[in-house]
Amino acid sequence: MAYSDKVVDHFNNPRNMGSFKKEEDGVGTGMVGAPECGDVMKLQIKVQNDTIVDAKFKTFGCGSAIASSSLATEWLKGKTLEEAQKIKNTDIVQELNLPPVKIHCSVLAEDAIKAALADYQKKSETK
Amino acid sequence: MARSMCWHCQSEVAGEYFCERCVKVQPVSKDADYFTCLGFPRRLTIDLGMLEAKFYELSRAFHPDFYQNKSETEQAISLSNAATLNTAYRTLRDPIQRAEYLLDLEAGAVKEIRSSPPADLFEEILELQDTLEEYRASDQSSDAGKQLRAQLQTEQTALERRKREMEEQLQHLFRQWDELQDKGEATSAARADRERLLKQMREILSNRTYVKNIVSDLVATIG
Repeated sequence: MAYSDKVVDHFNNPRNMGSFKKEEDGVGTGMVGAPECGDVMKLQIKVQNDTIVDAKFKTFGCGSAIASSSLATEWLKGKTLEEAQKIKNTDIVQELNLPPVKIHCSVLAEDAIKAALADYQKKSETK
Repeated sequence: MARSMCWHCQSEVAGEYFCERCVKVQPVSKDADYFTCLGFPRRLTIDLGMLEAKFYELSRAFHPDFYQNKSETEQAISLSNAATLNTAYRTLRDPIQRAEYLLDLEAGAVKEIRSSPPADLFEEILELQDTLEEYRASDQSSDAGKQLRAQLQTEQTALERRKREMEEQLQHLFRQWDELQDKGEATSAARADRERLLKQMREILSNRTYVKNIVSDLVATIG
């Protein structure tokens, strides 16, 4: 099985790799893992006025998991919280041409987005 | 093995893989799980010697050499049986893979077996991955590099110990599961017990995979 060109591109030139300080204002952090393969993914968003102004990720796992989270951060930037909520793993599968055995990587990315959004929501409520 | 009909002479097959009447080889049933395939009950503790003996016995029985002069149907059955048998043996031979497989089999019966991600373990792993990256980027012969290396080595030892502890916990759960299965009670208390055990196993197995991955990353980097 070969990775698609898009996966290879994201793998070789990951976008938005890195992290924000968790405690920083407006930052939401999502940490998820795939128990089947042991991949770990951290995805963070920085929000201003209900819009995601920046996103970063750190993924330790296979090429597809890295590509899925890299793509997710690209898509998140500039989206409102509501729009971000609508990103589906199937969109990622389609964009990256993921084979069936790698679909769980895109699910992981969707879970990470949801977790980051939920974390941001929780943080802004408790303030 | 469930009763079935011989594909060749249509008589009922009572034996394991061969029709007693016409002696033709029978295909592994599509519904048979790996335990059934190898003639073992669905238990998590398996005598590896017995498993190996059974595997060799069946491997011989399905060996393509014995089917060279047989019909095409028989050749195809023996080949596909041999392939299934190989996968079954490889899965059941390893206690972790065996447990993962059993959990997959039981997942239908027990909903929501998926465990929630352990946040503290993740934090720890991500932090460690950062240190690993720092070490890879550092001048490894410098004092700072050596210090990072020593730190990573300490972490590796601790994680390896944790992995062993998880495996011991699993062995303990495996025995509990088997005892419960041996009793075979259909009470709601027994069902709840089974469910609890499956969940606990799922959780430790998942955590073990995360720990295993970070340990192999550590080993690959610092040797």
